Amino acid sequence: MKLSYGVALIVSTILANAEVVEITKGVPSITVEHDGKTYKIERSQVKNSYLTNTFALTSRPSPPFFIESFSVNKNIETYGELEVLDFISKKKGVFIDARLENWYKKSAIPAAVNIPFKLFLKESKERREALKSFGVKERSSSEFDFTEAKTLLFYCNGAWCGQSPTAINALIDLGYPEEKMKYYRGGMQAWQLLGLTTIVPEEKK
Amino acid sequence: MKNILILILILISANAKSYNKVKITPDISYIYVYHKGKAIKIHRIQDTKNKLTGEYALLYRPNKYIQPIKISNDIQTIGEVELLKFMKNKGNSREGVLIDIRSKKEYQKECIPSAINIPAEVKDNKVKLNKIFKILGLVKNSDGTYNTKKALDVAIYCNGLWCDKSSIFIKKLIELGYPAEKILYYRGGFQMWKILGFTTVTNR
Repeated sequence: MKLSYGVALIVSTILANAEVVEITKGVPSITVEHDGKTYKIERSQVKNSYLTNTFALTSRPSPPFFIESFSVNKNIETYGELEVLDFISKKKGVFIDARLENWYKKSAIPAAVNIPFKLFLKESKERREALKSFGVKERSSSEFDFTEAKTLLFYCNGAWCGQSPTAINALIDLGYPEEKMKYYRGGMQAWQLLGLTTIVPEEKK
Repeated sequence: MKNILILILILISANAKSYNKVKITPDISYIYVYHKGKAIKIHRIQDTKNKLTGEYALLYRPNKYIQPIKISNDIQTIGEVELLKFMKNKGNSREGVLIDIRSKKEYQKECIPSAINIPAEVKDNKVKLNKIFKILGLVKNSDGTYNTKKALDVAIYCNGLWCDKSSIFIKKLIELGYPAEKILYYRGGFQMWKILGFTTVTNR
């Protein structure tokens, strides 16, 4: 009696494991660090869960929403989720949520800093500070030294969102090296369609 | 009489619907493709309150792993804009073919217009594969290899970001000598197509 109970337990454990939604085979979650905090990113394990929030909307009005090209240009690498996870878990650079603050406040990908695309469009104190935080040295108001510039990975709402391509293009105009910028086109929509973890960012004090 | 005229006018305006409320790109609201000989207008759902429901909104997918953005360095991954360009420029002139490699059942239920169905399992069936290669313009040499000079361009999709069928199938094509530069991989697949509200067709 005891034995069969044990067997049942083992079988149920195996079955339970078979039902785990993993990121890749054998990788159920990854841990990322950001601002001294640790976040665990995994996929939804809730059986029969569906995407039902505003990211299930199929048809955003045009303008401003159109389907973006797969690449911003041929020198800007487009990333998928695995490449994003590798980038943020290994801290390969700055992970930027380029959406306007009201989007970011509702939900975001862990480890992202919010730098709304509009900030990159014209000269300002905020833009100078952002560039400085990327390791860019300012020679004059229109001349920069990008030798030690960090790699930047941008995302926004998804395939129908132009906010991160706009940010990337603005930085190209400033001379930011194209090989140092990456684009996660799937964005919030693809991220959530895969059941990946999102957070509601805390207010900065 | 007046009523009939109004009715006709309504019918005409409904037919000439512009699909400008939810566009594809700033310049494109719809394109025409041919599906099994019939012209199909591909556009996006115009109801801005419409949400994706049903099996393609499902999040819980055990044992379905997230696929890398690239299959290999020489296979190009594309999105919807590039896929539509392929359908218009290559598909409509029969220089290229869109291939849905999901199961026959899935394809029959709903697919991307102009796609033909080659279930991924076919890769293990030599006889069927030979027939398909012939359709794709490959000529078998006497030594068993293929002459790929006239190989058609192909764009391949399956269920989406968590579906590994495209990757497995494309690798098999490469192994058999299909030119990598003639293969496009639509990684978003049927799920992204659906969530962006694009037109689909059934094959019953």
